[in-house]
Amino acid sequence: MSEFIQYTLQGLAAGGFYALSALGLAVIFGVLGVVNFSHGACYMLGAVLSAVLLAELNVGFWAALVIVPILMFGFGVLMERLLVRWLLELDPLYNFLLTFGLTLVIVEAVKQRYGVSGLPYQVPAGLGGQVTVGSVNLSVYAIFACLFSVVVCVAVGLLLTKTRIGMIVRAATESPDRTRALGINVGLWVTPVFGFGIALAGLAGVLAAPTRAITAEMGSNFIIILFAVVVIGGLGSILGAVVAGFLVGLVEAYGIAYAPTYAQIVIFVLMAIVVLVRPSGLFGREEVA
Amino acid sequence: MRSRTVQGTVAIAATASLALAACGGAGGPQSGGSSKLTDDKVVIGLLNDQSGVYKDLSGPNSKVAIEMAIEDYKAKYGDKAVAKDIEVVTADHQNKADIANSKAQEMYDRQKADIILDVPNSAAALAVATQAKNKKKLYINIGAGTTALTGASCNKYTFHWAYNTGVLARGTAGTITKAGGKKWNIVYPDYAFGQDMNKSFTKEITAAGGTVGQSIASPFPSDNFATFITKAGEGDPDVIGSMHAGGDLINFVKQFNQSSLKGKVQLAVGLMFITDIHSLGVDQFAGTQFTDAWYWNFDAQNKKWADRFKEKTNTRPSFAHAANYSAAMNYLEAVQEAGTDNADAVVGKLEGKKINDVFLRNGEVRKADHAVTHDVYLAKVKSSAPEEWDYEDIEKTIPAAEAYGEANPACSMS
Amino acid sequence: MSDDTTDTAGTTTTEQASLSGAGSTAGAEPGPSRMLEVAGLSAWYGEARVLTDVSIDVAPGEVVTLVGRNGAGKTTLLRSVMGLHRQTEGTITLDGTDLAKRSADARARAGIGWVPDDRGIYASLTVAENLLLPPVVHADAWPLERVYEFFPVLHERRDFPGTKLSGGEQQMLAMARVLRMGSRLLLLDEPSEGLAPVIVQRIGEIIREIKGQGVGVLLVEQNVTFARAVADRHYLLAQGKVVEHLGNDDFKAREGELLTYLGM
Repeated sequence: MSEFIQYTLQGLAAGGFYALSALGLAVIFGVLGVVNFSHGACYMLGAVLSAVLLAELNVGFWAALVIVPILMFGFGVLMERLLVRWLLELDPLYNFLLTFGLTLVIVEAVKQRYGVSGLPYQVPAGLGGQVTVGSVNLSVYAIFACLFSVVVCVAVGLLLTKTRIGMIVRAATESPDRTRALGINVGLWVTPVFGFGIALAGLAGVLAAPTRAITAEMGSNFIIILFAVVVIGGLGSILGAVVAGFLVGLVEAYGIAYAPTYAQIVIFVLMAIVVLVRPSGLFGREEVA
Repeated sequence: MRSRTVQGTVAIAATASLALAACGGAGGPQSGGSSKLTDDKVVIGLLNDQSGVYKDLSGPNSKVAIEMAIEDYKAKYGDKAVAKDIEVVTADHQNKADIANSKAQEMYDRQKADIILDVPNSAAALAVATQAKNKKKLYINIGAGTTALTGASCNKYTFHWAYNTGVLARGTAGTITKAGGKKWNIVYPDYAFGQDMNKSFTKEITAAGGTVGQSIASPFPSDNFATFITKAGEGDPDVIGSMHAGGDLINFVKQFNQSSLKGKVQLAVGLMFITDIHSLGVDQFAGTQFTDAWYWNFDAQNKKWADRFKEKTNTRPSFAHAANYSAAMNYLEAVQEAGTDNADAVVGKLEGKKINDVFLRNGEVRKADHAVTHDVYLAKVKSSAPEEWDYEDIEKTIPAAEAYGEANPACSMS
Repeated sequence: MSDDTTDTAGTTTTEQASLSGAGSTAGAEPGPSRMLEVAGLSAWYGEARVLTDVSIDVAPGEVVTLVGRNGAGKTTLLRSVMGLHRQTEGTITLDGTDLAKRSADARARAGIGWVPDDRGIYASLTVAENLLLPPVVHADAWPLERVYEFFPVLHERRDFPGTKLSGGEQQMLAMARVLRMGSRLLLLDEPSEGLAPVIVQRIGEIIREIKGQGVGVLLVEQNVTFARAVADRHYLLAQGKVVEHLGNDDFKAREGELLTYLGM
């Protein structure tokens, strides 16, 4: 039984992190209708930036949690203004391919500059060690990462449900045309929302830095899991991304515990089942934009 | 349709020019007369990962190492050198067997490579070994670990210079088990290399009187090892063996360090390169034991060579860099002895050769299976680095005979 | 289904007659100060031309309908006026300002209010948020209190998700939304469609209320009975062209003929 609790806690810890990582993907899809393949690369950039800030400017983890998302917001704004914007009117496939190409460029650029074996990063002081209750234990950092992710998800949730900005973003997500016809310049909101989504990817990268290998390729596999998360949750649904994040974390942990070889396949089996039963995902709207 | 026609035309043109070139080479006079070299020069092909996960481990800096060998060879023989004109060509196989296969073919045929060096990634190495056999040209593997190269897939033209999975298992599993780490749990990535490592380790642990409680396969690649580590901690093992490489290994070790097992259970790593320690930071790996084929700061001879390497690359060499140097140097020596770059003659000079150089200690090119046996080292990662790249304490030298065991009976050189 | 609607709308008419008498009963002649003027408007979907040289106008406080079969181009005309359909030629002016080059949101802020045929209620917004989403664009905009007073059901359900309302309530909400915004010209796309008679009657009342405020209404309607109950003038659209332009009296007189023509 204590083993089961252990796996459940580990699944939840991983799930919180998945939720945060998928959040930006869901926000960008929701408002722009763009399937941002470069989300994984932006997550990687977030981690790499943390490592570089530490190594070259001695900027630590806590400062990086603030600075990196700001830098990534700027990167997202540039990306949207210079590239993504021009393809928004076309079939979504164009932006998917654009961001796919961009991913290759970003990954290769990081390889050129920082090599392939990865960059060092330590667990910040005060977050090392484990918490043990009975026979169950979790690393302090995993608990921190999960709680931090949940706080960010809730904050983003509140921003979306309780503020006028959130109201406009929800309306634009649901129907950009109708929202324009109600006097709202949806285009004005597109750039900051895209930047925000990219900033969230960067934030997830900072959070990953102490616990995962910081390499140019670190996002390439991760993005696949994130796609599974947003598909399960319902493309563009914030709540869906969060719930599916935890679901995937749990399924993965149980998979590893009871069928280790199939741990990752289980996630995609779950995805296939969800898509068969509810094509628009757990929390997706039935109509597909 | 049209592009196919164009492609066909180009293909025909290419084949035709290739045929012409071949005729020209055969029919034309051997310029210089006295030279016994094909095409008047020796061409060394370096085929490895120039952009992916193994780039830092070997990659472009292995070309520097090979050029150092050429420099030394020329300095040693001067005017008497058989190979006066030596060219190095490189290609990126991107860790893919199919690309390695076509690049090897291109190197042997079009670039007139007399030998190919390196080729990390076992599947890619096996593809190149097959090419070498068919083209009757040399291939000295350095980066790949599979024992198949000196086993079922061995051939006359292929040599295995630096290490193999059997050596890692005998070195790490054997030594640690004998030292008291009897109860093992193993986590391995679920692909050919990982499965091979798991088998070799299990065999050596059992042979040394230990037991393997669990062998857990993890998907490849994988980011989240927390639960794998918890599972590997079940049953109170003395040692957890991680058979991962590259990014997976770093993920595993980072997350192991954050688990409650850190400090209670010994972590042994199947395959580790100094570049892994460099990228993760020495404190993260502190105390981890592994088998190293060569370490730059082991003795004065190594250090001297490493200093020279650093002048050219601004970084310290991995064992793969030193092995590329050693392989290139000994190949050129064999050419010198044979007086020709004819592959069969060079193979004849290499087989059975006993070598002591900067890389090989008590080395021997074993005739039976073409494994190049030599002393390897059980290394332990330091808890802090006195200087950059100074990460390893060599705990024990494992003699060549112990590390390599008997020649693989599965190999028949026909 | 449509029979039912017609019936009740018929009853409404009698009640209405006196009221509409008080308003503008001008014939086919445009009112003195034209609010919306559409001139020579053509629209395409790719290569297919769906509107040809359409010219219509609406005066303040005037209710004008667009009548025609399915596919005649009525909804495209509304979407073109709103700026949601961009593949157009011709001029669209509101109170003398050329809107043809403006985006949909700019036109909305200039005073055009759109009530789409699917009501356009946001599922992810509450009733209150649906009302508060658009910016207030005119001094005559209804304050929220007045909206709630006029539509008590919206007040009752202000915290419900917008789409949890019944069809009729959603229609109320869609209209209330543009009133709170203060739109000067409403584009109503089949407001009576699929609604119970009592609701249709209520919508008729609302239209008269806003008309009294000097708001112009351009109404797409298949329900001829409803149309003649609320409207001052009628444009008959066929195959993307205006084929008839009638005052309400002419429209009533020729109703049978028109119904046949429309295939209703």
